[in-house]
Order: sequence, then C-alpha cells, then structure tokens
Amino acid sequence: MASVTAPGLSALHARAGAFTGDARSIERRVGLLFAVTGVVLILLMGVLGLVMRLTQATVIDMSPAWFYRLMTLHGMGMITGALVAAMGALWYVLHESVPLRLGHMLASYVLTVAGAAAVLVATLVGGFGAAWTFLPPLAFYPAGQWPVWSESLFFAGMLLVGSGFFVYCIDVLRQTTTTYGGLSGALGWRFLRGHESEAPPAPVIAATVVAFDGLLAMSAGMAMGLGLLGRTYDSKVGFDLLVSKNLVYFFGHTIANLLIYLAVGAVYVLLPRYAGRPYEVTKVFVVGWGVALVLIVTVYSHHLYMDFVQPRWAEIVSEISSYASALPVAVITIYSLTMLVWGSRYRWTLASTLFYVGLVGWAIGGTGAVIDSIIPFNFRLHNTVWVVGHFHTYLMLTVVVWLLAFLAHVLERDAGETSSRPARTWTIALLLVGGFGLTGTWFVEGALGIPRRYAIQPPGTAGYSLVGSIFALVFAVGVLACVAQLLGLGRTAWTRRHYVLVGHVDSWTGAHYEARAERNTVEPSAVGESPWDPADVPLTSPAQLCFGAAACVVALASFFPQVVSASEASTRYHHLDHAGHFFLGLMVGVMIGSLPAVSRRVGDRSGLALATLIVAPTAMMLVMVPRFYEPLESHPFEHALYHLSMAAFGLVTGLAASRLGRVGGRFSAFLSIGMVLLFAAAMKGG
Amino acid sequence: MRLHYGDPQIAIGVVFALLALLLAIAFVVIAVQAGSEVGFERVHDIGYSLRKRWLAILVVVGVIVVGISLFDLPYASGGAGARTVVKVTGVQFVWSLQPDKVPVGTRVRFDVTAVDVNHGFGLYDPRGHLIGSVQAMPGYHNKLDLTLSRAGVYRILCLEYCGLNHSTMEGSFTVTRR
Repeated sequence: MASVTAPGLSALHARAGAFTGDARSIERRVGLLFAVTGVVLILLMGVLGLVMRLTQATVIDMSPAWFYRLMTLHGMGMITGALVAAMGALWYVLHESVPLRLGHMLASYVLTVAGAAAVLVATLVGGFGAAWTFLPPLAFYPAGQWPVWSESLFFAGMLLVGSGFFVYCIDVLRQTTTTYGGLSGALGWRFLRGHESEAPPAPVIAATVVAFDGLLAMSAGMAMGLGLLGRTYDSKVGFDLLVSKNLVYFFGHTIANLLIYLAVGAVYVLLPRYAGRPYEVTKVFVVGWGVALVLIVTVYSHHLYMDFVQPRWAEIVSEISSYASALPVAVITIYSLTMLVWGSRYRWTLASTLFYVGLVGWAIGGTGAVIDSIIPFNFRLHNTVWVVGHFHTYLMLTVVVWLLAFLAHVLERDAGETSSRPARTWTIALLLVGGFGLTGTWFVEGALGIPRRYAIQPPGTAGYSLVGSIFALVFAVGVLACVAQLLGLGRTAWTRRHYVLVGHVDSWTGAHYEARAERNTVEPSAVGESPWDPADVPLTSPAQLCFGAAACVVALASFFPQVVSASEASTRYHHLDHAGHFFLGLMVGVMIGSLPAVSRRVGDRSGLALATLIVAPTAMMLVMVPRFYEPLESHPFEHALYHLSMAAFGLVTGLAASRLGRVGGRFSAFLSIGMVLLFAAAMKGG
Repeated sequence: MRLHYGDPQIAIGVVFALLALLLAIAFVVIAVQAGSEVGFERVHDIGYSLRKRWLAILVVVGVIVVGISLFDLPYASGGAGARTVVKVTGVQFVWSLQPDKVPVGTRVRFDVTAVDVNHGFGLYDPRGHLIGSVQAMPGYHNKLDLTLSRAGVYRILCLEYCGLNHSTMEGSFTVTRR
C-alpha cells in the first residue's frame, strides 16, 4: 500500500501543501497537552462566569462572599487557562523552525498547573476574594472573609504561574535569538536594515516580542507577588500604593494583552493554510512588531487615568500608546490576514471559520478598548462594565475562539476531515450571537454607568444581567457544540491514527477518494539544535568583562558603612542598599560564569540555571522583610552576614544567568536586578 | 437612585455601535468574497495600496481625537483658589464627605483619599448620570474639580473593587438651591 506523504492535507486548502509541513508527534502532543489543559480550565471558569452573571440577574441567590471568591478564581483561572493553551499553540508552530526544549516546556506546564491548583484551593477552600488583580492592600483587608493562609497560597500560586511563563519566555527568547543571530535577527531588524535577505518567520518575530515583553511584565508581577507574600508573614511590610498599582497593572494588563499576541503568532501560520497563501513577512510587518514591542509595555498606565497623582506625562504617553498600539493590529495583522482570505477560495472548516471569527472579535473588542483609552471618555466609563465588555470581546471572541480553532486544526489534520457544514454553521451562529450579545449588554450597561465587580447590581438594572445571562447561555451552547465536534474529530483521528482515509466523500468539496493508505510514520527531522557553545555567554569580550568589573566597583559602594548607615533612614533605602549588594554578587557571578575556562568546565546546565534564576531572587526577597533583618541590627556580625547573603543570592543568580546564553543571560540578569529594584521601590513603612 | 444614560455616554455608545456595525459589514463582505478566486498578485497590489490609505485615515483620526482629548483632561491643577474644597474619604464600606452640602453653581474641588484600601469615587448627578470619577487611594490625595450646576442629591458609588460590600458602598452629596 502506498504511503501518503502529506496525511491530513485534505482538511486544508489545495495550495497549502506548497508551504505546509507535517507536524511531528512531539509538536502535536505538546500542543494538544497545553491546549486541552487550557481549554478545560477555560470551560470550567466559563461556568463560574455564567453563575456570576445569573447571580447579578438575581436568578441565583449567592452571597457576595462567594461571588467574589468565584470572581477571583474566574479571572485568575481564565488568564492561566488562556496562557497555557496559547503557549502550546505558539510552541506547536514555532518548534518547526526553532529548537525549543521539551524539558523546559514540561517544567513550564508543571509550574503553571501547580499554580492554578493553588489558586483553586486558596479561593474555593480558603475563601480568598481580592480579585485576580489583587490591588494592594486589599488582600490584607478581608472583612472577615478569608484567612492569612489563603492569601499566602494565592500569591504562591500566582508566583508559580508566573514562574511557568518565565521559563517558557526565557527558552523562547534564548532559542529564537540563538537560531536567528541575536535579538535584532530574531526581531527581523537585520532583515530590515538589509543585512539579511530573508526575514525570520512571522511566529518567530511574534514569539520574540511576546517573550521579551512577557519577561518584563513577569519581573514586575513577581516583585509585587513576593512583596505581598512577604506581607502575609510580616505585618510590618508596607506598600507605596501608587507604585504598587503601577506594578500590578504593568503586570496584569501586559499579561492579559500578551494572550492575544501569543495566539496570533500561531494564527500567522495556521490561517494561511486554509487560504492557500503563505503569510508574507515584509519590512512593514517587522516595523509593526517593533512598534508593538514598545507599545505593549507602555499602554498599561491607562488603568491609572483616574489616579490624578500619577504623573501627567505618563497618562498622556499611555493615551497615545493605547491608540498607537491599535495601528499595527488594524493595519498589519488583521488587514493582511483578511487580504489572504480575500478571493482565496478560502476552505471553510471548523478551524478556519473560528480563526476568521477571531479577527472580528479583535477588531470590534479593540475598538471598544481604544474608545475607553481616550482620557475624557474614560472619565465617564472608568471601571464601569464597559471595560468588562471590551476585554471579554477579545478574550471570548478572539483568544478563546482561536484556541478552539487551534485544537480543531490539529484534530482536523489528524482526522483528515472537518465536522459537518450544518454543525459548523450552527456553532458559529451561536458563538457570534451569544458572544456579541453578552458583550453588547456590558457595553450598554457601561454606558449607563453601572460599576464593574458588583455582586448586587444597582436598582433597576438586573434586567440587563438577565439578558446578558441568556446570551451567555447561548454562547455556552455554542462552545459545547464546538467541543462536541472536537471530540468527534478526536475520535476519528484516533481510529485513523495508523492510516489515512482516502475513501472519503468530503462534505464541503464533494471530492471522492477510494482507498485507505498507511500513514507515513517517517516524521520530518526535527530542527537541529546547534551544539552548546561555551562562548555563548553574557560577557563575550575583554571589554565586556571590564565593563562588568567596573559595575562591580560601583556596586561595592553599597557596602560602605556610611551608605549602609544612611540606608537605615527608610525601608525603601534599606532595600535599595540590599539591591546594591545583590547587584554586586550578580555581576561577579555573570563575570565568573562568562570566563571561557569556567564556562567550559560548568557546561550547559540550562535547566538548573533556570531553576536557580527563579529560586535565588525569590528567596532573597522573601527574607528581605523587617521580621528577619530588624532583630539582626543589634548584632553586627549577624547583620554583616545578612548583607553578605544578599550578595551571595546575587552571585548564584549571576552564575545561573551566565548559562542562558548571550541574550538570555544578559536579559535574565537585567530582569533579576530590575525585580529587586522594583521590590524596593514598592515597599514602604517597616 | 435609578441610573440613566448621560449625553456623553450616549454619544460614545452610538459612535462605538456604528464602528462595530461597519466592521461587521466589512468582515461579512470579506467572508463572502473569500469564496471567489482572485489572483493573489491582484489582491496584493490593490491591498497594499489601500493599506497605505487605511493607515493614513487611522493616523489622521488618531491625531484629531487624541489631540482634542488633551484639551479636555479632567485633572485638577494648581491651588483650589476660589473653589470649595470637599474632603472625601473612602473606608470599607462608607463614604465620608466634608462638607456634604454646597449651593448650586459652586465650583467644587473634591479632595479624595482613602483610609484602608483603594476605592473609586464615582459621582452620579440627581438625574442618575455618571458625571465623572476619581480613585480614592490611601496615602494619596486625588483632586477633582467640578462645577455643580444642578440642584439635588448626588450619589456616590464605589468604582474600584474594595471587598465584600463593594456593591453597596454608597454615599450622597447635596447641592442646594440658592
């Protein structure tokens, strides 16, 4: 029996074979593991969302305490679920051209799932209900609703999820930059400047941007999470609430925003397979993602428009950034993807239709978001349910829809078919009517001035919630119909795992096949990872090592008795001095690890390095609370040892960073010291 | 108090609805056209040419909208001057306003802070229109300048999640006739 070289291509456009390779089993398995886990979490959290909406409609009688527990879990669970699934989808397409490491991906999975489990227990058992945005110091004003252990567990869970994403981002950044000649190569800037004739594939550029910005956001989130965790066992820990708010929203907004950018990295590869036209990476595309790299991290401040003490320039920069960030989306991503679809004899399958619907959600939800980001409009919409409307539009109708599309794509290819046309039509209709109906009621309520996060709605407005609940039910039926089709495709894929059915009447083309053939079990070879290079270290030349030594000399000042004494003036200065010690150790560690002889002797050890890079700064910040250092102040020797330990934490962090390559090592060292500095900036009192 | 739509919110909602409708129509047209066969070179040439115009339109709209918005920022600046300062303090789950009554037409400066956690000072006029908001944050004072030209009882709802009774945290402020 003749083997078929491109199994499953019948689910794609006839021209897709020219630019579509077979997914290897490792990509399918990792993609499915992450996507299924994420989608299951999303479905469970969706049920909680429905219960909350029905409570607001007074159909369900649930106490505010339970409402806010579910709200906290719903937010954190949705973000985590979407994050896990989108990470898997991007890995699936990226692994074709970038040698991402399976071990790191699985470590990321374990950390993220463990974090989600911790949040589940903290909310449902512990009763924690300070919202997933945990705006300080709300977690410590529980109004008798949750014990301290639930606060600790929630923040530990959030840190685990963050660590999982951190591991993912470091691996992506390291591998894309190593494969494509450094950061400028992976971002396409070398192509832009004419130094290279060919640009990196679109998902490589998207993944590099996501990893870079994701790491920046995570460093802020981790600094804040560790400060809050410290507060759970030391009541003397205090926060500067404006700085804290900036860090929380820098982390929260950026992560939520990156979900869509993670997912679109996969869409660049998958949607063209149904249009029969490859996605073209042009110089405009590279510029667009370069702009996005900056704007993704500058827009968050629109959450602080109504904090009038925020510097005025930050508000204005944020307004301009918020509008400008829509331009690459509208002019490059959505526009060029619709260009691929136009006149292509687009192959409408379950997956491809969902990919297309996701573009609609992004365009309409994004418009609602841009309107809200104009300061005078925000003055009248801030924290009303308008906000809930716009972010649900692009999370439900873009991110979730694309994640379902990703699963459909993998299963359709394995099954060699899609679901029936009536099933697809009804599913899409239910998703569109239910989804836009639900978000539409939020927009209408937002214009009315109904505040968000109300367990009990203002008098006379429960009817809106009832209408919203009905639409939410319609959307839920659409999702269930979609899941049913995915299960059907999965069953078919399983029965055909050893062969390809070519005796099939295709439901949408009418094409007839008359035989079944063995599936080609010879997989395309994996992208070869370059052998580990001992010279791939953060400081590669004598001049760079000298720079490191100079930085050490400057950081040494943090040990001067006069500086240490002056730092006792406030908690913030004291922590800043600790940061100086940490920086000294960090630079020494990076320098030692970068020495060729040491690098050769130590070897790759990137797994151990990643673990150290998370554990060492975490441990340092967890002991950097008054409870631990205040008793030592009257004991000079122990006090000196404590300060030296800060440098020791830096030393091991620096050594670990030196194992992550030039870009990965430099950036992770920068993030470590940045995290410690942000931690110091957010702290007050003590 | 029953909430009602304010004029600015109606205008914002209508503009958004029209934009959403236009986008929906555009996506339907593209989806219908997706079934036809058009050479990609032709799509490429026309598409990229139109894209420049699309970018130009969005940039012009952005410059106009953002530019105008910068002249209508709600941020108070300078000293209170002749304004009547109303001290507003949020604490789980009540609002305190001092004074809690001013004559109609008074130019008011709300000096807003909080004792425990973040709250959101959302001010609704006697008709139930949300006329503006500002955050109440411990350790900081946000200053909101407004001229209250309508007599009656203004309501305050909390616009920042603050815990168990967030949705019932209400206050009031009276503007009397002269």
